[in-house]
Amino acid sequence: MTARDSKGNEVFKQSKIYMPIPLQLGRGDKMGRGPYEKSGMLRDTSLPPNRPVNESFDIPFPAEFSKEGGKDITTILDYDMTVDVELTYLPFGTKESGQFTWQKVTKKVSIEKGGV
Amino acid sequence: MLLFLFLPVAFLPPGDTYGAESKKATTIDELAAMYDSSKCKECHENIYNDWEKSIHARSIFGTGRTAATIKTTVTVGLMGWKYSGVKKPEDVQVKHLMICAKCHLPQLAEATDDVAREIVKNVFVYTDPDASDEARNKAIAMLSKVNINCLICHQRNAIIHKWVDGFPEKNTVYGFKDGEHADLAHPKMKASPIMDESILCGQCHGLGPNFELENPSQCATLYASYNMAYRAEGGQEKCQECHMKKSKLGHNMQSYRDPGMAKAAVDFKVEAMGYQWRDGSRMVPQAIVKVEMINRAGHGIPDG
Repeated sequence: MTARDSKGNEVFKQSKIYMPIPLQLGRGDKMGRGPYEKSGMLRDTSLPPNRPVNESFDIPFPAEFSKEGGKDITTILDYDMTVDVELTYLPFGTKESGQFTWQKVTKKVSIEKGGV
Repeated sequence: MLLFLFLPVAFLPPGDTYGAESKKATTIDELAAMYDSSKCKECHENIYNDWEKSIHARSIFGTGRTAATIKTTVTVGLMGWKYSGVKKPEDVQVKHLMICAKCHLPQLAEATDDVAREIVKNVFVYTDPDASDEARNKAIAMLSKVNINCLICHQRNAIIHKWVDGFPEKNTVYGFKDGEHADLAHPKMKASPIMDESILCGQCHGLGPNFELENPSQCATLYASYNMAYRAEGGQEKCQECHMKKSKLGHNMQSYRDPGMAKAAVDFKVEAMGYQWRDGSRMVPQAIVKVEMINRAGHGIPDG
């Protein structure tokens, strides 16, 4: 998930990994990598069939905080953000070389100008 | 009299089956010839063409990634383990390569160690950065000669419970019907009780560690997930229904690389809202982004 301000600058980035985490040689607490050394499961954070997986992200808008006469002042630097939420799959290699985009949704988010 | 008539039939020796000892292939070419399914194309052209697009058609080369993993299995695994008996690539035997070949090339069990070494040799050429394009292409061509083809799913691996259903016969192709089959090498056609069952795919698309090996490996765990997380929770569909029928991919069985399969596999909803939170007397502008993902496949995503 990436958020950009109205000028296109990245202001937030967070990712989460979903995958079975295989146990190396079926012993201890280490993840195995190659099929030749995997024998068991340490954890499984993959997307399970037919069960919803929900995630929630709080993204701060660009703002500066100050005090004037003992009062908190918030100066909002940008009222609009574009949020890209991407589900990718990395079967092999690196994010740069082997990543496959599974789903991608882009949303515009704004906060109100003015108000009480 | 009845006994006399029946005996000759009842005691006829069985045809050549997979349970019987037979001559082993000594080269990749011989193994390819033993499992030559090119004649299937004469009558089943569309199906054959579909299969040729699938990864099954290049199961030990894959996208290149499979071949590369076979190499690390040799260099990092086999050559790194004290008791494997493999000090150099030339030491690799069939039993070592079955770590990968159990699923990527099950017919390797009917080949000599020379074939295992020939595969390893070609894998090393393919992955050698100093190899010429010609040498690399030749290696790819050799590795692509043997694969998961018609005769694996429709013959060799078409019967799992051999004591119940009999050993697969080498003159027979297995599908949905009994009868004659218009091919001199395979004149018989028989219904396989598992041709449209997930267990057919589960033979390779994994349960977990392959304990039958001297040194177990674990590649896929999809069939375990299918059984424990999908069927156990009321899921009813079989592998073939999504990967072949609904997707209309037929024998070009794909997963995430097919855009239709990828789209159908995960419902992906995103909601976003901006608001100003009051942290005591301070206003904090922020957005909340909520993501809901529902995996509609019959197994966990990803596999591994």
